[in-house]
Formats: sequence, C-alpha cells, structure tokens
Amino acid sequence: MYEFNLAGLLPYTGPLPRAIVLTLWLSTLSILLSVAVGVLGALCRTSTSLILRWIGGAYVEVLRNIPLLVVIYLIFFGLAQVGLRVDGFNSALIALTLNAGAYMTEIFRGGLTAIPRGQYEAARSQGMTGYQLYRYVVFPQVFRIIYAPLGNLMIGIVIGSSLASVIGVEEVTTWMRRAGDETFRYMESFLAVGVIYVVLAQTINIGRIVTGRWLLSRAPIGHRR
Amino acid sequence: MSTDPSSPVLRIEGLVKRYGPHLVIDGVDLDVAAGQVVVFVGPSGTGKSTLLRCVNGLEDIQGGRILFEGQPVLSRSSAIHAVRRRIGMIFQGFNLYPHLTALQNVTLAPVKVLGEPAKDVEERARGLFRKVRLEHRAHAFPSQLSGGEQQRVAIARALAMNPHLLMFDEPTSALDPETVGDVLAVMEDLAREGRTMLVVTHEIGFARHVGDRMIFMDGGKIVEDRPPEEMIASPENPRTRQFLGSILHH
Ligand SMILES: Nc1ncnc2c1ncn2[C@@H]1O[C@H](COP(=O)(O)OP(=O)(O)O)[C@@H](O)[C@H]1O
Ligand SMILES: [Mg+2]
Repeated sequence: MYEFNLAGLLPYTGPLPRAIVLTLWLSTLSILLSVAVGVLGALCRTSTSLILRWIGGAYVEVLRNIPLLVVIYLIFFGLAQVGLRVDGFNSALIALTLNAGAYMTEIFRGGLTAIPRGQYEAARSQGMTGYQLYRYVVFPQVFRIIYAPLGNLMIGIVIGSSLASVIGVEEVTTWMRRAGDETFRYMESFLAVGVIYVVLAQTINIGRIVTGRWLLSRAPIGHRR
Repeated sequence: MSTDPSSPVLRIEGLVKRYGPHLVIDGVDLDVAAGQVVVFVGPSGTGKSTLLRCVNGLEDIQGGRILFEGQPVLSRSSAIHAVRRRIGMIFQGFNLYPHLTALQNVTLAPVKVLGEPAKDVEERARGLFRKVRLEHRAHAFPSQLSGGEQQRVAIARALAMNPHLLMFDEPTSALDPETVGDVLAVMEDLAREGRTMLVVTHEIGFARHVGDRMIFMDGGKIVEDRPPEEMIASPENPRTRQFLGSILHH
C-alpha cells in the first residue's frame, strides 16, 4: 500500500539548496535581462521609425507564438547542430529572456502608449533631453502602470524556469525528478517542489513589491511631502 | 546672454509649416520686442497653436526661419534644448506631471535640466506659489487640484525656469468659467511685470487690459496686427470683423 512519507526524501536533500539557488539565479537573471529587452522592444514598437516598429512587432509575434520548450530546444540542440554550443544554463537563460522579453515588450508598450502626448510636450518644452524626459517624466509613470502585470510575468518566469530541467540544468525540477526516481517517492517530491516553487515565486514577488514601494517613495528631487 | 535691447526677442521670417501636403503656416513674418504682450486670435484650425509650437521647436518647419534672442531655432539640432529652457509654454490641457506634487512639478526641470541646487529652487518655487496664489496647495498632486489650480501650477512651473518668453496656448479654454478669472489674474500680473508673452486666447478682456498687440490669424496667415483696443473697436479686414463679432456676442 502507498504510504505518504516526506521523510523518505531526506537522504536526497543534500543537493536541494544548490538547486534552489540555481532556480532563483536563473529566474532573477531572466527577469532582469527580459526587462532590458522589454524596454528596448517597447521603444522600438513605439518608435517613429517604421523599420524599428516592424522589428519590434516581428520579435513579439514570433516569440509569443513559439512554446518556451521549443525555444529552449532550438538554442540548446538547434544551435549545436550548426556548430554553436551553448551550455544548458545559458540556453535556458537565453530562451527564457527571449520568451519573457516578448511579453515584457507588450507590457512596457502598453505603459508607454498610456502616457499622453502632452507629457512629452511639456517635458520637451522645458528643455529636457530625451534621456531626462524618459527618466523623470515617462518611465516613472509607466512604472506605475506596469507594476501589477509585471508581477504576473515575473512569477511566470520563475515557473517557466522549470523547463530548464529538460536540458539537464541542475535546478529544482531536475532535483525533483531525480529524488523521485531514486526513492520512488514521486508524490512526495512533486508536492515538496510544488511548495518550493510557491515560496520562490512569492519571494520574487515580494522582492518586486518592496523594490517598487521603495522606488515610488523616492522623490525625484531633494524634498518630500 | 547679452542681447541688444533694440533687437527683437523673437523674429519670425517667412515661416512655412506643412503637415504633409497640408499647408498650415503660410508665410508668417513677426517681430516681438522685449516686454510685449501679443494676443493671437482667429478661427480654430488656422495655425495659432502650430505657430507657438514652431517657436520652441516642438514642430519642424518647411520654410523661413525663426530667431529667438538672435539664435536660429532648429527643431532637430542639439541647441534646441537651450532655446526651450528660455521659453516657457503653458498648454490648454495643463500637462502637469501627474506622478509629482505641485511643488515637484515646479522644481523638477530647474534641478534636473538647469542643474540648480534643489534648496535654491525650492525657495524660488515657494515664492512662485505665492505669486500664483497657491501657497496652500504646494503638496497636492495634480489630480487633487481644480483645473484653474492646475493651470496656475503650470504657470509656476514655466516661471521656475526664469524664461525670457512665455507662450500660452488657450490657457483658459479647458477651464470651468468660475476658475478662468484666477488664471487670467495671474497672467495679467505677469504682463504688467513686463514679461514678453505670446498668448492665444479668445478672452478679449485680457487682450484689452494688458495686450500690446492683437494679431488676427486666418488660413495660416497674419491678417491683421494692431493694438487690441483699435482692432476690437474697428477691425479693418472683413474676416476680422466677422470673427470678432462672433466671439464678442458670445
Ligand atoms: N500633428 C498634426 N498633423 C497633421 N495636421 C495637424 C497636426 N497638428 C495640427 N494640424 C492641422 O494644422 C492646422 C492648424 O492647427 P492648429 O495650429 O492647432 O490651429 P489652431 O490652434 O489655430 O486652432 C489644422 O488644420 C490642424 O488640423
Ligand atoms: Mg489651437
């Protein structure tokens, strides 16, 4: 008879901390890089240049319509076939970044298009350079708009990082399969990892909320209310 | 900036502005001397806003030239930022920065664009809030202010840059009638201080009280340019007469 026994996993918890760190590291890097891709992508998609708009649009449409798993295979196995070897971690990082970058682009674009023209005109009429205009007027407003959708996407990245297990990255899902195979305690390992993902995703989410509050509370200039 | 007092603050020569094939400014010549208050009137769509937007390079131009304090205004050159710092613009829709308090709206550009110490700017800003009669609202966000209050903050924001020219594009058109007077009062104070101002408005009372010149525009051209009192009393051009008639009996 099957008997639930979480303690049966105990002998295999040794590599777990490393696996958790790797999942967190992969997710955090993917989030940071995809934010950068998203900002660039959104600036392209809202650019006055037709070519940039086209490139941004094509990127989003292509990457949104290919499953993340397929992108991971393409980079890990596909590129290897044409002689470009990328290791497992970096393949997963690139794939997650490209995939999430497409969604980031759409989130940032939504934020950018929500800023009325008058804001740009007011800032320009005060002599702001392009950098100053985005830094002090546009992005702070965009940030408030995208703050919530960004949270969903960040959690999606943490969860998506589990697909790195298919190319042998030693992260949490890989640990789960191995621990299950070795102990036959599949149910226990699945449940344990399920809980671990909830905690990791919420850790990143709380990180977002704390950073967000901190950014929002900072006055752009010397004084506060 | 040493400028010859006899040379105009603003000189516009043969200005042409097109949007695609659509001719919007059709050869405008205009000199504005220091301290002059020039009021622009005319039917909607005749290029009044566009003219102001060309002056600070928010629009590129297709012909003629604009000299501000002797320097050409070139919308795509890097020198345009320096020109805009010396020209304050007030918009019909206020365009305050909604994520900043009224005070921060006023201090942002002097600190970040002019690089002045925040403390000095804040002190100057407090003075400006008194000037626009909003001392008590300095820490409110734009969404907490009435239209008239927002427009007065926008005026303070423009003044904080110590501009040499102020441009108002229908500053009271989006306001509830009861708050129009507060904004006009502030503008009249500025005019009496000897500021150089370009004002697009249909507030004939303002033109009459403090305007030095009234310019009637139609079809992208200056049709008539005279002292307000004269133009209102006896418009020369039939189009001017018709237009003034329509707004005076409103
Ligand atoms: N960005 C633009 N693109 C195309 N046409 C424009 C644009 N802005 C203004 N116009 C046109 O230019 C003309 C003059 O507009 P505007 O300067 O706003 O007139 P006014 O301020 O006198 O009402 C109008 O016919 C308007 O439709
Ligand atoms: Mg207009």
